Amino acid sequence: MTALTQAAPTQAKQRAQRRHMSDGALVRLFIFPTLIILILWNVFPLFYSLYLSFTRYSVIANRAPEWIGFSNYTAILSRPTFWQSFATTGVYALLSVGLQTVLGFSLAMLLRQKFKGSGFITTLTLIPMMLSPVVVGMFWKLIYNPSYGIFNFLLNPTNPRLATDMLANPVSAMLAVVIVDVWMWTPFVMLLCLSGLNAIPDYLYEAAAIDRASAWFQFRRITLPQVAPLLLIAVLFRTIEAIKAFDLMMGLTGGGPGKSTETVSIALYRLAFSGQFNTGQASALAYIVLIIIICISNVYIRYLNKLRGE
Amino acid sequence: MFKKSLFLLAIIALVVASVFVGSPARAAVTELKIIWAQWAPADFLQTLVQDYETKTGIKVTVIQEPWGTFGDRVAAEWAANGDAFDMVIGDSQWLGQGATQGHYVELTEFMTARGIEKTVTPATLQYYGEYPPGSGKYWAYPTEGDANGWAYRMDLFNDPAEKEAFKAQYGRDLGIPETWDELLEVAKFFTRPDKGLYGAAIYTQIDYDAIVMGFQNVFFSYGGDWYDENFNMEGVLNSEGAVKALELYRELYTCCSPPGLSNAFFQETNDAFTSGQAAMIMNYFAFFPALANSATNRFAESTGYFSMPKGPDGLRFAALGGQGISINAYINDERKQASFDFIEWFAQDDVQLKWAQLGGYTCNIEVLNSQAFLDVAPFNAAFAETMTFVKDFTNIPEYGAMLPIAQSALHSYVVGGQGTAKEALDNIIAEWTPILQDAGYIQ
Amino acid sequence: MTATTPRPTFEQSGPRLPVVESIRVDRVHPRARIAGSVRATLAIILSLISLIPVFWIVLTAFKTPTDVTAIPPKLIFEPSLTGFVSLLSDMRLLSQAEQEERSQQPDLSWVDQIALQIGRAINGPSQYARQLGNSVIIAGTSTLLSVVLGLLSAYAFSRFNIPAKGDLLFFILSTRMLPPVVVTIPIFLMYRSIGLHDTHFGLIMLYTVFNLSFSVWLLKGFIDEIPREYEEAALVDGYTRLQTFFRIVIPQARTGIAATTVFCLIFAWNEYAFALMLTTQNARTAPPSIPSILGSGGIEWNTIAAGALLFLIPVVIVTFALRQHLLRGVTFGAVRK
Repeated sequence: MTALTQAAPTQAKQRAQRRHMSDGALVRLFIFPTLIILILWNVFPLFYSLYLSFTRYSVIANRAPEWIGFSNYTAILSRPTFWQSFATTGVYALLSVGLQTVLGFSLAMLLRQKFKGSGFITTLTLIPMMLSPVVVGMFWKLIYNPSYGIFNFLLNPTNPRLATDMLANPVSAMLAVVIVDVWMWTPFVMLLCLSGLNAIPDYLYEAAAIDRASAWFQFRRITLPQVAPLLLIAVLFRTIEAIKAFDLMMGLTGGGPGKSTETVSIALYRLAFSGQFNTGQASALAYIVLIIIICISNVYIRYLNKLRGE
Repeated sequence: MFKKSLFLLAIIALVVASVFVGSPARAAVTELKIIWAQWAPADFLQTLVQDYETKTGIKVTVIQEPWGTFGDRVAAEWAANGDAFDMVIGDSQWLGQGATQGHYVELTEFMTARGIEKTVTPATLQYYGEYPPGSGKYWAYPTEGDANGWAYRMDLFNDPAEKEAFKAQYGRDLGIPETWDELLEVAKFFTRPDKGLYGAAIYTQIDYDAIVMGFQNVFFSYGGDWYDENFNMEGVLNSEGAVKALELYRELYTCCSPPGLSNAFFQETNDAFTSGQAAMIMNYFAFFPALANSATNRFAESTGYFSMPKGPDGLRFAALGGQGISINAYINDERKQASFDFIEWFAQDDVQLKWAQLGGYTCNIEVLNSQAFLDVAPFNAAFAETMTFVKDFTNIPEYGAMLPIAQSALHSYVVGGQGTAKEALDNIIAEWTPILQDAGYIQ
Repeated sequence: MTATTPRPTFEQSGPRLPVVESIRVDRVHPRARIAGSVRATLAIILSLISLIPVFWIVLTAFKTPTDVTAIPPKLIFEPSLTGFVSLLSDMRLLSQAEQEERSQQPDLSWVDQIALQIGRAINGPSQYARQLGNSVIIAGTSTLLSVVLGLLSAYAFSRFNIPAKGDLLFFILSTRMLPPVVVTIPIFLMYRSIGLHDTHFGLIMLYTVFNLSFSVWLLKGFIDEIPREYEEAALVDGYTRLQTFFRIVIPQARTGIAATTVFCLIFAWNEYAFALMLTTQNARTAPPSIPSILGSGGIEWNTIAAGALLFLIPVVIVTFALRQHLLRGVTFGAVRK
């Protein structure tokens, strides 16, 4: 077993493989379709909006873009409301991704050992994720309705009227949105964790059990490191999506009350559409968001590579 | 020789090109497309235009887009200079953009030459058709007049026990409120959380223009305005009256609004009414048909309607909704001509009467004043009265940047309870000033 | 666990494996058994709680508009099909007089009667069925494309030394980072000018592009977990690279493929913003039409719920069909690094 694990492909072996076919040709055949499609569909929108971010331009104004350098960027960064929306996004992403990770991982731990019907239960828990985010946003508004929604009814069945309107108060509105996001996307994290957990070979635990290692030791030294790569991919994608979160919040609170749940994406939508059509500034804001996401992703990916490298 | 054949080639190319370019233009127009929001009046229009097809053979289709995305869809088409639709029944605020940015065909000559501009009420022509205000230039034919009004529960208002209790408490008779203060009193009177009944449901939604529209009813009636004729906002937008109006609007929300209406627009207020939670609701007249129908409102029989109450100094205004029909500037001349012909047909008195009978809100003077119109629906009397004191949000092209600022400032104060009314209005001025400066309205 | 770990077949195994099936000593202890059933109960309870909102959607779909807004919320009610009827048909509001007139008519079909209950008459079928069809074509094709292309690239990235591999992978990921709100307008303009607006192909490619980054990354994660030793052994045995890919890698990456398929399908199936902006009639999918059910009077919650429910069923079916693969896990852990 140990001999197998350590058997790394050597140069000689790789050369031997080329006898059968050209690896280079295979790689090109496998990668190029993906790259070509991605380039074709992304280069124009990406560069066009990059260019627009340096111009004064409204897509509906029938006027050519006017080059104004970094003005859009400075205008955005000097406006306190945008900092506020960045902060809101941060709080939202941290809370919802954090909770999803913890809950998703715990749920995967619970469902890891098979029991009668566990496959069915696991599949059932995936249902929230399958719903359309637009519908989810709208429907939870009904669920949160203090008069005829079930949320308050279940919290306080005897007198639901006493419960508050979750969406009317700045703090509880954020909580309400986080609850829905966690409800919807915990299954995503759970499923990926479960795949990782199922892959952990039993003998590792056996060896630990024979050594009388504590449960905590088993968890820290076996379970966690083995699941980490897939868990990190799940968290990476959830973080990206949380920063871009739009449909759900738009349907549920519209960014309100006031600006208390207005994330960058909603601010962006307001700039790019809904009567304003400030395309130049919206593109600049999008690029700021892109840079932030790139930085965060880089941190994750470095960590991921470090995990894999060991 | 070579020159000759080149010349010949050029001629052939020209002929071919003109056939290709020219042929679609020369084809007779057989279909016209109108884009509008998805709601009952669009259904009514679709029914009405069948007459046009029988008369002229031109099929007219009303494309319906959901309210939430209607504006974005039309703007995307403008951005592409697209001809996916021939006419748009656009919101009154769009006039500035449509007119100054070249998306609408100017209708001034057409409307004055045919006397169409005299067939509609001056207020609707001003708000749905004219840009810039007072210029006498028209860009749309007023199609669907609309404004805010109130629906109320007559069974509650006419209950003798309620009348007596109200008189004992406030020293006057319970009835349709004449002023905003009276409305607040009546709303407080009917607010009984233990019975699940609340006084008044009002607009609070943060998207698009809902809370601004709701607030404007009070704001204008208290002497406030967004700016004066010199675009001066200080002392106008945040005048004493304006502050009082905003405080009243918040009080109405906190004291008397059914729970769950923290982000409410026309659907939510209607829902509050039909579920029996509200004694009075604010809404656009266009959404009252659902309340007059016993299949959708179990109180339909005992639902009454009234127009906006007055401010403390007797000023009376109702926030304007509604749309005018404009011609898309990016269609070819034949389709433009066909669209002119359609509007000319649509503007006729008898067509407008049928439009009103189907449930459309005509702006035609003759029809509005006719008994036939008043008989169509129980709320038409209140509607006809309201249309004499309507007032709209600004429609300058910059409105799009200004509206969300006002929306979120008002929502923060009214629903979120953050800061004071004066601060909320001051915030609007602070954020609007650079926008108006950039556009050159103020120094 | 012990009973369900499948014995590796010869084809999958390549070189002989150490014994992975054994009774784990720590699992037969009574305390472990009690812990196991506690865990199972807890898992079931948590899953049921998370299903309450779904259950509520199902209930709402069968309510009448009045029952939806009843206070307190109604658990027991007379089921009604008004939601489904108004979803699948195009209706108009009847005036009071027309309603009375219609209620006198003896020969009304059952759908007309249901429509009359909410004061409406049916004009004809709605666009919903056609839009559902479009959704099936568009989401199905794009999912297939993104999983196949993603699998090929993921394998290549996982197994070969590719120049600037990290940068290429990051480029692929970065295509998912730009907020869609902003790319909508450039893509709209691009699609208008090259004639892809309102076409099935346009949306299929767009969703494929959007899902590819996810598909490549996720599948690479799974393929990385599969030990290379089997492939190498197979190569020594005279398999070509392509054969090892099809006979060894794909079967072992089954869980990853199933999970990726489900996630890509869910995204493409539910996508709203692009579908709204880039389609009008011909290629319009169902999601943009669900919020438009809002109605002109109050919110028609039962119709929205009916729409959401009908729209949910196909994805649930696909997920349940893939369940075996989805939950199987990467089984060749014995030689994992």
